Amino acid sequence: MTLSSHWYEADTRFIPGHYQPATLIDLALSRGIDSHRLLRGTGLFYDDIVAGGTRLSAQQFFSLIANAQRLLDADDSSFLFGQRLLPGHYGPASHALQQAQNLHQALETVIHHRALLSPLLTPRLLLDDKYAYVYWLDSCGAQEQLRFVQEASMTAFKAMSQWLSGERLPWECCLSYPEPRYVEQYWVHLGENTQFNCQLDLMRLPREYLTHAWPNASAIARQVAHQQAQSQLHDLGFSASLLDRLYVHLRDHAQRAPGLEEVAQHFSMSQATLKRKLSKHGTHFQAQQDQARKHVALYLYQIKGLSNDAVAEYLNFNDPANFRRALKRWTGCTPNLIRQFLRV
Amino acid sequence: MTWLNILKHHRWKLGLLLVAANIGVLLNLAFGTPKAFNEWQWLDIIGEGGTSLFVLLWLFLVLKSRPTGRVTNYLSIGLCCIFFSWWMDVLDEFIRLPKHLGWNHWLESGPMPVGMVLLTIGLYHWHREQQAINQQMEKRERTFREHRLFDKLTPLGGADYLKHQVGDCMAQSREQEQPLSLLALDIDDFSLVNQHYGHAEGDALLQALSQLLLLNLRRHDLLCRLAGDRFVVLLPNTGESQARLLALELQQAVQSLAHKTRQHGERVCLSASTAVVMAFDEAPDELLKRLNLALARAKPPRSKRA
Repeated sequence: MTLSSHWYEADTRFIPGHYQPATLIDLALSRGIDSHRLLRGTGLFYDDIVAGGTRLSAQQFFSLIANAQRLLDADDSSFLFGQRLLPGHYGPASHALQQAQNLHQALETVIHHRALLSPLLTPRLLLDDKYAYVYWLDSCGAQEQLRFVQEASMTAFKAMSQWLSGERLPWECCLSYPEPRYVEQYWVHLGENTQFNCQLDLMRLPREYLTHAWPNASAIARQVAHQQAQSQLHDLGFSASLLDRLYVHLRDHAQRAPGLEEVAQHFSMSQATLKRKLSKHGTHFQAQQDQARKHVALYLYQIKGLSNDAVAEYLNFNDPANFRRALKRWTGCTPNLIRQFLRV
Repeated sequence: MTWLNILKHHRWKLGLLLVAANIGVLLNLAFGTPKAFNEWQWLDIIGEGGTSLFVLLWLFLVLKSRPTGRVTNYLSIGLCCIFFSWWMDVLDEFIRLPKHLGWNHWLESGPMPVGMVLLTIGLYHWHREQQAINQQMEKRERTFREHRLFDKLTPLGGADYLKHQVGDCMAQSREQEQPLSLLALDIDDFSLVNQHYGHAEGDALLQALSQLLLLNLRRHDLLCRLAGDRFVVLLPNTGESQARLLALELQQAVQSLAHKTRQHGERVCLSASTAVVMAFDEAPDELLKRLNLALARAKPPRSKRA
């Protein structure tokens, strides 16, 4: 049994109530919200959470977020929540993050221990010769809560890296949705040059910041904490979500674009089961397939700097017209537009 | 809790109203005969009964939302009288009184004018009270009020209120051909306060800062909290050089604020960055964006912590 062949789903109860959910509950209570109203409909009890025995599923966390959003009724809830999220108090994984010697180690820690540090949204790191990119993928089908989770996660990353590094890092954020009414929250919490209507939910900064040494780090403490967090993941039995595993599989086989049957076989389940699981996460196979292939295309354009023909060839499109149509469906843009778009 | 408070503060008024309403019922029953079901006038019952219920609802809303005092007494006693009048009117629909009785007309119509006079006096004083409160709201509010746009943390307007006001002020300044300036103020490294002293202390500090900034403004300026630790001041009839002077004063005020933490009474040292822009012919959103970009340029590089 290896970690990489297992996963968690939206209804797997594994998020300790006193980890990330407690941060949100504390925020709501500090604004005078009644704990009963906050937990209504989530199947959770305040006393159990305080006792430390409660485990939440992602679905329960989403309904907690929905309640908090409704009761707090403020545009900055997700950002305030995000500011308090990392490095957090989530056992050895948080210690490992706190002892990171530079940004690169910190990013790798969050990504490696994402089931513990960022269970709702999967961060992924890409590097080219100028920039480091962190982009985010939905782990458990957040649906209506996706924007809240994205705002919180990006704010958490930015706040954590500024705090631990002791310097102001020039993060630039891109978001896939249109500019919201409360754009000033993005200016203050994520930076003035936040862009909207982008292809990915992504933040980037110049690559040299990855290796700047951070103060107060201890290599030994980090090493030990890392091992302890690793054994915590072993006890859980998984380190990533089903959507996450599926994304990696589809991305790695983007050239062939395997069908539903083949993918279901790879995950040792029937087609019907895979379909049902995906619809439980508010998505379907084609959407996941398109997302993976779109990301591969963007990667080839942006980071490998390939031409249209080379990208089309890599993704096994024989006909340029077909490729243009597919790209249009994935991104809403023609190949030339997308190249301009990425250059900004 | 608040409902219990109403009972505590207004037990005499509410008790008297209850007793009076019951005496009314008893008197009616003692002197009259109940009407048969087919004699009931449903339209009258719904009209008069509904009105008296609404008056009762208004009474509770007034009692619940207002602090006790003279104005509240006028309003509530007035509403009590009006309710009593309607209540006696409703009883008529169920109980027939002999024609020769005189007191029932008095009970029905007597309290109404008294209630109207008291309510009117109450509303007049409420108007005076509101004017006094408006003066206290100076620099935090301009002509337009919408409580849903209040900031949840500080006693200031939020970003949506600011956007609304920027639009209004730009139109006004174009009309009067007066300059309009905007000033943004952002606390340097405010996240460190949250990290060192906790988020509750950060919230308290933001509340203290909003009071401090208000003290340093002119009467016709408007202070709003944009987001987080960023404040924006709307400066009507103000050119850029004067706005810069004000910005400098606010910066100095923040620097000399000796805020003490609530737990250990440590002094928190703060500094602020400011930016000033003058409004041109542009959309309010563009103006705010320009202001924030100017502020980003004004931010000093973060000082390394010891």
